[in-house]
Amino acid sequence: MKKITALLMMAVMLVSLFAGCGKSAQKNNEKPENTSEKTTEVAKNTESAKVEKIKIWVPTSGKYDDIDAVMEKVNEITRAKIGVEVEFCPLQFGQWFGQYSLLLSGTEDVDIMANYGGYLNAYSQGACLDLTDLLNEYGQDIIATEGEYLKGGMIDGRQYAIPIYAAYAWNMGLIYRQDVVDELGLTDQVANVKTLEDWEPILAAVKEAKPDMTPYVMNTGATASNFQYGTWDDLGNNYGVLLDGGKTSEVVNLFESDEYARLCKIMYDWNQKGYSSKDIQTQTDGFGTLTQNDAAFSTLGQTDFNTKFYQTTSIGKPIGIVMLGDAVGRTYNNVTYTVMSNTKHPEACMKFLNLWFSDIELGNLIKYGIEGTHYVVNGDGMAEYLEGQDANSCTYHLGASVSNTVAIRWVTENPDYVKLLNDANSSARRSVALGFAFNTDSVTNEITQLDNVRAKYQTGLETGVMDPDQYLPEFNKALKDAGIDKVIAEKQAQLDAYLGK
Amino acid sequence: MKKKNLGIRLKKYWPFYIMALPGLIYFFINCYIPMSGLILAFEKYSVSGGIFGSKKIGLQNFKFLFSNADAWIMTRNTLLYNLTFIVLGLVISITTAFLLHELKSNLSRKVYQTVILFPSLLSVIIVSYLVNAILAGDTGFINNHILIPLGLEPISFYSEKKWWPFILTFVHFWQMTGTSCILYLANISAIDTSLYEAASIDGAGRLQSFFKITIPCIIPTIVTLTILAVGKIFNSDFGLFYQVPMNSGAIIDVTQTIDTYVYRGLLNTSNLGMTAAAGFYQSVVGFCLVFFTNMLVKKISKENAMF
Repeated sequence: MKKITALLMMAVMLVSLFAGCGKSAQKNNEKPENTSEKTTEVAKNTESAKVEKIKIWVPTSGKYDDIDAVMEKVNEITRAKIGVEVEFCPLQFGQWFGQYSLLLSGTEDVDIMANYGGYLNAYSQGACLDLTDLLNEYGQDIIATEGEYLKGGMIDGRQYAIPIYAAYAWNMGLIYRQDVVDELGLTDQVANVKTLEDWEPILAAVKEAKPDMTPYVMNTGATASNFQYGTWDDLGNNYGVLLDGGKTSEVVNLFESDEYARLCKIMYDWNQKGYSSKDIQTQTDGFGTLTQNDAAFSTLGQTDFNTKFYQTTSIGKPIGIVMLGDAVGRTYNNVTYTVMSNTKHPEACMKFLNLWFSDIELGNLIKYGIEGTHYVVNGDGMAEYLEGQDANSCTYHLGASVSNTVAIRWVTENPDYVKLLNDANSSARRSVALGFAFNTDSVTNEITQLDNVRAKYQTGLETGVMDPDQYLPEFNKALKDAGIDKVIAEKQAQLDAYLGK
Repeated sequence: MKKKNLGIRLKKYWPFYIMALPGLIYFFINCYIPMSGLILAFEKYSVSGGIFGSKKIGLQNFKFLFSNADAWIMTRNTLLYNLTFIVLGLVISITTAFLLHELKSNLSRKVYQTVILFPSLLSVIIVSYLVNAILAGDTGFINNHILIPLGLEPISFYSEKKWWPFILTFVHFWQMTGTSCILYLANISAIDTSLYEAASIDGAGRLQSFFKITIPCIIPTIVTLTILAVGKIFNSDFGLFYQVPMNSGAIIDVTQTIDTYVYRGLLNTSNLGMTAAAGFYQSVVGFCLVFFTNMLVKKISKENAMF
């Protein structure tokens, strides 16, 4: 018996030894392969002494069948200008959110990573390289374009992410079907709408006149909360917000505020009156899809100077907006690019990002493909599909870009986009917390629990399915039990430190 | 004595051991090597540190599983649903298998079996939309075509808790009975038919031969499958509990299980350490339960125990 145990022990030990060996052997094998590859590369490219290869992962809703041909052209430019070869790895948006965590885990071959929906998760996993010095050395064009908005990628004064240059200033607003409003003769009435209360008679009129059209739906379906893009500055995660859109730096509990209760009451009222569906909290399609099929009239969402134009062209129906308050530059930064902390080519990554920001030719190539093959430039200087081709038949149209404002615009875009964007960004009021990033390390447990509490109440309350008189106090009690006060105190302390108080 | 046996066995049956080798190697690579990743449950993972080099933080990752008000609710749900599935599952799948076996026509048996099996081939996403088509408040079949024509109040299923234990149980069996009865069906088919002939000569009816012949013959299978199911009692079918209720918040008290709690909590934070901790906890509890169930079976009837 003893011998058997001994044998077993030995087997176990051998096993662990092998397991260890396997890993390290693999790693050791990888390196020489890479270097040998590189030496042959170098031998091939006689014009440049050393070419670094980097891989960048981006999500897209476009096409990338012809990506090899496009990348060849891209690399001609990057090799000559910065001595870098880049490989784009696009994924469809639906797939992207499933793969994102895996790509972040550091076990995949990733150099530059696109982050949609903030980069704080990436940061807290230690996946973001500190770019401060690299940016100063190689990123002059990025600094010139973004200016103060680079703060959206900073934590504790260090640059960890490069935000895309998009509309920073926005507010919560109503997005609705302009043609329906015009048809029902409500145009003047809509022009005078200032608050959600003013919107009710419009909904009533639409319900009366268009029985097949739901007057109010959620913007993206149940995947995001109804008040995702609120009038407050959410400071990253809604547990503790700046209520007045960031005029003062007092972090308060959103869910206990009068504003939140008011919004929930309105939604409950709308739901009771049948302006929204009884099943609104399990809605699966977004406003865009629904209204394309004339099944929805209006929604709440993020609105900025370009929303009306953008929604009209992407949905293909006339869209109007009512912004509920002035546009404010927020802490919130949705799309950023980060460099993985385990990359072997940090300089190459920054050089490439900088070139992508500033080079017209490179920007066009990555966005639209090869001129003459995938797109043509029309008389107005805007890009469009070749004759006889459309979004489905064109073999390359990635669309993704780090806000390359110098690239040509697509034919459906606002021709004055760049000018309007610059105006909007430079003139808008900015939240005092612009550039603040909440470090959640010390309150991870609380946030995990708070997220679960939110899963139970938030959608129901914000869509008006749950009666706020009954459930809002219950929600707040559950949040308290889960430790929201601790998170808010921590956030306030970090914000004060950030503001140098 | 035992050692000698092993030596003799090796000498005598070595071709069989070689035949088993590929399976063992597969098992080793797929199930044992990845176990080293369990160390993640005790770390604060960081990309630069990697799986083995990250900061060790002891049991902190486990805290979030227990330090919350819902810990009791999700544990209760997980256990009760699984117990229901195990007990009812036994009855339903053995009955179905027996009834299928009793069909004399080969054709009708094949047809029935395919019909019963079909739902398990559907992705849970499709199932959730089928359920939605039946239950939805504005457009659903039950509300629009049954309750309203009868002059009854429509029910908003996705916000009323009381229906969901029944809906989920029904969906589970509608989907899973086909696969679970296959094993029993194979077992029942393998029973020596002369036993039934002898019984019928002695005047036994269908029911009598079911309880006196069929059940005793398949008891080892029942025990094995039940022990395996008990081992998974802390895990739940994520699709069933998350997708089928369409992630509706109002009914979370009766649909939250440990798996959905972990998913909801980590959806936004993607914290690898906590996820690993949850999986680790479920496995350890599952292992203990298998062990104790087997011990219990051993006490009652030794020949039916698994190990």
